[in-house]
Amino acid sequence: MAEVTLSNVRKSYGAVDIIHGIDLGISDGEFVVLVGPSGCGKSTLLRMVAGLETITGGEVRIGGRVVNDLDPKDRDIAMVFQNYALYPHMTVATNMGFSLEHRGGSKAEIVERVEWAADILGLTHLLDRYPRQLSGGQRQRVAMGRAIVRDPQVFLFDEPLSNLDAKLRVVMRGEIKSLHQRLKTTTVYVTHDQVEAMTMADKIVVLNGGRVEQIGAPLDLYDRPANQFVAGFIGSPSMNFLTGTITSEGFSAPGILLPLPEVAHGHKDRKAVYGIRPEHFVLDENGVPAEIILVEPMGSETQVTMKLGEMLATGVFRERVSLSPGATIRVRPELGNIHLFAADGGQRLN
Amino acid sequence: MKAELSPRRQAFLYGLLCVLLIPFVFPTWWMVTSSVKPISDIFAFPPQLMPESYDWTTYSKVFELQPFVRQYWNSAYIAALVTVGTMVVSSMAGYAFARIKFPFANAIFMVVLLGLLIPSEVTIVPLFQMFLKAGMVNTHWPLILVPIFGAPSVFATFVMRQFFIALPVELEEAARVDGLGRFKIFRKIALPLARPALASVAIFTFLHSWNLYLEPIVFLSSADKFTLPQALTQYTDAYGGPMWNIQLAAATLTALPVLIVFIIAQKQFVEGLAHTGLKG
Amino acid sequence: MAVVQQTARPEGRSSSSFWTIARRDSLAGFLFIAPQLIGITLFVLIPLCLVFWYSLHEWNVLANTFTYTGLANYQMLLEDTSLPSVLGATAIFSAGLVIFNLSLALLLAVLLNQKLAGITVFRTLFFSPVVVSLVAWTIVWGFLLQKNGGINGVLLVFGIEGPNWLREPVTAMISVIVVQVFKNVGLNMILFLAALQGVPNELYEAARIDGAPRFKQFRRITLPLISPTILLTSIITIVGSLQVFAQIAVLTQGGPGLTTTVLVYYLYQQAFQFHFFGYGSTLSIMLFVIVAVLTFAQWQMRKRIVFYES
Repeated sequence: MAEVTLSNVRKSYGAVDIIHGIDLGISDGEFVVLVGPSGCGKSTLLRMVAGLETITGGEVRIGGRVVNDLDPKDRDIAMVFQNYALYPHMTVATNMGFSLEHRGGSKAEIVERVEWAADILGLTHLLDRYPRQLSGGQRQRVAMGRAIVRDPQVFLFDEPLSNLDAKLRVVMRGEIKSLHQRLKTTTVYVTHDQVEAMTMADKIVVLNGGRVEQIGAPLDLYDRPANQFVAGFIGSPSMNFLTGTITSEGFSAPGILLPLPEVAHGHKDRKAVYGIRPEHFVLDENGVPAEIILVEPMGSETQVTMKLGEMLATGVFRERVSLSPGATIRVRPELGNIHLFAADGGQRLN
Repeated sequence: MKAELSPRRQAFLYGLLCVLLIPFVFPTWWMVTSSVKPISDIFAFPPQLMPESYDWTTYSKVFELQPFVRQYWNSAYIAALVTVGTMVVSSMAGYAFARIKFPFANAIFMVVLLGLLIPSEVTIVPLFQMFLKAGMVNTHWPLILVPIFGAPSVFATFVMRQFFIALPVELEEAARVDGLGRFKIFRKIALPLARPALASVAIFTFLHSWNLYLEPIVFLSSADKFTLPQALTQYTDAYGGPMWNIQLAAATLTALPVLIVFIIAQKQFVEGLAHTGLKG
Repeated sequence: MAVVQQTARPEGRSSSSFWTIARRDSLAGFLFIAPQLIGITLFVLIPLCLVFWYSLHEWNVLANTFTYTGLANYQMLLEDTSLPSVLGATAIFSAGLVIFNLSLALLLAVLLNQKLAGITVFRTLFFSPVVVSLVAWTIVWGFLLQKNGGINGVLLVFGIEGPNWLREPVTAMISVIVVQVFKNVGLNMILFLAALQGVPNELYEAARIDGAPRFKQFRRITLPLISPTILLTSIITIVGSLQVFAQIAVLTQGGPGLTTTVLVYYLYQQAFQFHFFGYGSTLSIMLFVIVAVLTFAQWQMRKRIVFYES
């Protein structure tokens, strides 16, 4: 196992820069998730760590060793691909043992490792099958098995769950996480799904347009997003943003005045973006008026689209809101969970 | 189009197909049956669909009049060498053009594709002169080297390239991570998966070599060097007229083995050609 | 494990910094294409230059002289009184072959695309001439087409006196075309069949709901959707038709007269029977130009005739 360090890593195709100088330290045994919208460069970055993409500038180190010019095979990494990339002409056992075969493992050793991995992943009864005979979840497990047999320094996952149905995705998410807890191998995991990122990561790296927006523990990102992009990306349904001005009475948005925490007064008369998560609205007689546009009951909670002043916002309430569109309710944003961002640039103010 | 057909329509279709089938199937039947008819019955009227009397000596004459075994061997080993050689050359080149990034790849591919545009008949004169200078006229070298490396293999390269382009890149990336170098990825991953494409290349190439006619008559001059297509036309009487029953016997010996292999493996033949042959 | 590697090469870049991944890949690429590239150079590019060079020379094989004559051979093309009939025969042969081949292939493909028990048996049989040795196939047909051969025998049963197929100008041309089409139409048939099977069934269902009759479905849905295949097969068939040699050599030897002497056969005669290598080379150049122009023209036409490209 090893630590992975990226220093000022850049990637460009001709004149087009894809990755703009990324610094990232991943410590030994850590589970790091790279997350961001499609095209943000997260997969490219992972593939640069793997050695599948060349590195235009900067350094990638694995276990202290600069690997920029090393072939993937010399980097001691294992990777799980989005489409699993199982060799269709080989059995599950051969698929899993294939890398060991090419690293000069003895027959007995390979068999032993494959059986060990198959046992962990519950694949023992499938070892003689071919990939085409397996279900999506089983293929996913074989892809993971292929990665773990070798006991590499680093696991790399490239959107491994995106081809599974919603239910199976939740199951596999848990399996990958418990596998990591058991093996404690340094892991870099790419996904566009912020729920996956939140639930699995020790540390999340939010990427956007080839730059790091924020690095931090999942709950830190949720509680204190560094900028409007991260705030909007992390959390589901995503945070409401209302533009307006900070005044001494509160936050003045078109048609409404919203309460502000004490700390905000340092930014008086500043144009800003007021961020509040849907789950941080409370039904309160003394709150601000909100006209109901749409009610979506989910069972455990109710999602309400409402009009705050002239802007639409989403609220999520544990209580059952039995009101119909057109009615007006009163809601209060929780003071401790209000996020303020600069109107220009979107950096966090409070 | 794929709706169920009424019984009357079905009967009509079967009838139509059977009539259309005549010019495709009857010649082969006529070849085989006429090859055992005595010369007097060859042009008998009315035509004998089944031979009324048999003359098996035509087959022994095939071997007496020419070194037919030798010629058979010539055709067979040339076609086998050309097939294997083309599979190697075209799968390597096709793989590189589809998968490996190297300078001028596109320009070189365009030049190679030029081979598709140039019928081998265009270059037959200079090729003859080149092989003459190299002392290879009346040897089998021109019939082996030109198809493997020259214009005829370009089509095979094109087919292989189309196939490899469609192969998921992730398989090769997984193999790289698993510790394989370029050549091993080609050998262990790409090539085993390319079996259908290789099969159709093999079929095409074999048939092409097996049917070659212009090249043998240009390059070969002695009977023991001849290939089958050329040998078939040599069964003539003193006046240059064809000895029909003997020609037909030799033709039967030439055509039947391939035909039998085809009927046994027709699925691979037909579907291989359809799915990987010429798409794109 | 990690610790060992870490201390083994703490700052080490890869073993050699020149052989980066990209450079190694380039080398691999060149090695992979080397056989083909050398072959193309040796057996296509150099001969192509040579054939042009030869075409500028008067080459007397017997006297072993090779003299530069500039465009004299090309001048000869214009003065060659045989050439117009050769080109005419080539054009008729190619046009007849392509039209007959493609329409028969399409007809067979449509018939074979029906839901019918045992249809693969028919498919196999229609395809079978493709694998029959070309010269063997041609010999049998030559035998069938004799004056007293099988075809006229069958005709006579019905009281029809057949012509001497291979010895009369019009029937000789028809014969060589037909023999060639029956030999190879199976290939195009298979390609068309694959294309037909690639047309999504929903489109026909939608058309049926819209009330389009069958022939209209064929014209408005099938033909546009398989037009890329039609283009491809027509290019292949035209270029192939210009290379037909064995059938002519075996069936008619270019006769009667020059009626079936196509360009390739004429080229062969000039170069290898009469040993006019210079003039033969000029004819080769002409063949090359014709093939190139036709291919290019068809490729250009694809925008007009191909309604749909995947």
